[in-house]
Amino acid sequence: MTYDTVVVGGGVSGLTSALILARHGRRVAVVEKAAKPASLIGGFERGGIYFDSAFHYAGGLGNGDILDLFFHYLGIDRLLRKVPLDQNKFDIFRDSASGWEFSFPCGIAALQEALCEAVPHEARGIQSYFVCLAAAFRQLPYLNPGTPEVTWNPVEAVHGPSLAEVLRRFIRDPRLGHLLSLHTLLHGVSPQEIPFSIHAGVVLPFYRSPCRIAGGGRALAAAFSAQIQAAGISLIQGRSAEKLVLSASGHLQGLKLADGESLACRECVVSIHPRRFLALAPQGALRPAYRNRLMGLEDTSSGYILFLHGLAPPPILAGSNLYLGFSGQGMAEALSSLERRPLFVAGGAFHADSAQTGHGWSVICPASWLEMEGEWASAGFPRSDSYRAAKEEVSGRIFQRLAHEAPEIVQGARLIEAATPLTLRNHCGGPRGGIYGVRQAVGQYNPQPATRIPNVYLCGQATAAPGVLGAMVSAFLTCGHILGDDRLRREIMA
Amino acid sequence: MTDQKIIELINSSLIEEFELETEKMTPEATIYEDLGLDSLDIVDMVVVLENAFRFKIREEDGIRDIRTLGDIHRFVIGKKQSLEKKGD
Repeated sequence: MTYDTVVVGGGVSGLTSALILARHGRRVAVVEKAAKPASLIGGFERGGIYFDSAFHYAGGLGNGDILDLFFHYLGIDRLLRKVPLDQNKFDIFRDSASGWEFSFPCGIAALQEALCEAVPHEARGIQSYFVCLAAAFRQLPYLNPGTPEVTWNPVEAVHGPSLAEVLRRFIRDPRLGHLLSLHTLLHGVSPQEIPFSIHAGVVLPFYRSPCRIAGGGRALAAAFSAQIQAAGISLIQGRSAEKLVLSASGHLQGLKLADGESLACRECVVSIHPRRFLALAPQGALRPAYRNRLMGLEDTSSGYILFLHGLAPPPILAGSNLYLGFSGQGMAEALSSLERRPLFVAGGAFHADSAQTGHGWSVICPASWLEMEGEWASAGFPRSDSYRAAKEEVSGRIFQRLAHEAPEIVQGARLIEAATPLTLRNHCGGPRGGIYGVRQAVGQYNPQPATRIPNVYLCGQATAAPGVLGAMVSAFLTCGHILGDDRLRREIMA
Repeated sequence: MTDQKIIELINSSLIEEFELETEKMTPEATIYEDLGLDSLDIVDMVVVLENAFRFKIREEDGIRDIRTLGDIHRFVIGKKQSLEKKGD
């Protein structure tokens, strides 16, 4: 059997691509090396307790907002129950030194008002900043499907300005600058390096309508699986792609799997870390310039994650997430010591059936891959004693910080598991443990959907933006390249 | 770096990174027809030049007006000169 399209990689971008293409009559297969699709956002279980690992909350999921439209288009909306976060405080920032708090209310107008109230002498700057943010957002592809598309030139993002540059233009109070940079944790790139337009694409939907999903990432993964099955897409899981098979004239014939089987196909959407795409391409199919460019791409920041368990979730996390950090502190200082880094405490997918088992929640602390490089990175399993000791030490220090800065988060809680940049490398597919894979950064040219090999396309966070929304936009961009952007945009709005 | 050295570095980088033939590397050679590059290659070329010369190329630098290898030579020489002036 010949497939019209084989999608390599069954994460959010790959599954979204598969659903879009199947909807347009293509016979599609998805090859996923993990045992189940969307395994990363699907979280994990320890001792019968479920933990979200890669999905905590999403922006733009309010009724009619952009992620809601995407979910509806894919047919997964009716399989999910959205849980809007607290309208008055979906995210809370707490200054680790002084205990000062700022609550982010839902909605752009409410947020602007709250910021003006907190820092009244910056009211004009706040207003100008949000005008800029909205204007940058309007330029982004697929995020405004209801308005006529502007011509999106990805190179513009590469040339900046960065978030820090735009903040400098309008904001003088470092405390305010810090609040407006807080959500850089949602794309893993510093304010100095993140293109302002990409930052706008990530944060604006969060400001507008942040939601959790009942059952967390596991429910989202299950919804995808159900739709993949309903669409008649072949799911080839637990098996790795090895090489694209090309004819003598360089045309795609199929995909060879690591176990020797070959899938014949006319088209391939490669939805994995771009560096891993290089291993799929046959010798000579890609020029050194392109190979070197993809090899040189840098990833987003990595992180340590603590997974905590308690019989009852901390009340503060019921409708909010908590961000801890040092107001007005620069990024370099923030990354220098574990004790100065920002911490993101994500409320878990609290659900009623956890009454017996208790609840799981997590704390994410940004980290650099460099902290893992060396003997640990190259060694396999079982892990060395020195690695385990270091992991324990880091977890202990973060736990101590929480006990001091946010005691309600750890009160009555047990540390069940921890992840390091090395863990993230093994599970996220990025060679350097980047939480969001390849980063979007000023000065870095990320790959586009089209590749040098005819009918082979790239897709994924690297080609568009990070997170669930970014991964979905990347799928629409890649499929729009194949099927026509206007057509897809009309369908999303239908 | 002399202009001649700049031209040599441009040519050798492009030959290696785009697997081009040395004898085709004349200043009159057009990038698209003679050297066989296409629009997909332009970003790769920008990255090759940025890495070879340790500067950043921006849209307004006029990279889109480049048609021939000689244009690339003039572009890089001009860019380096303007950067050196700024550094003075």
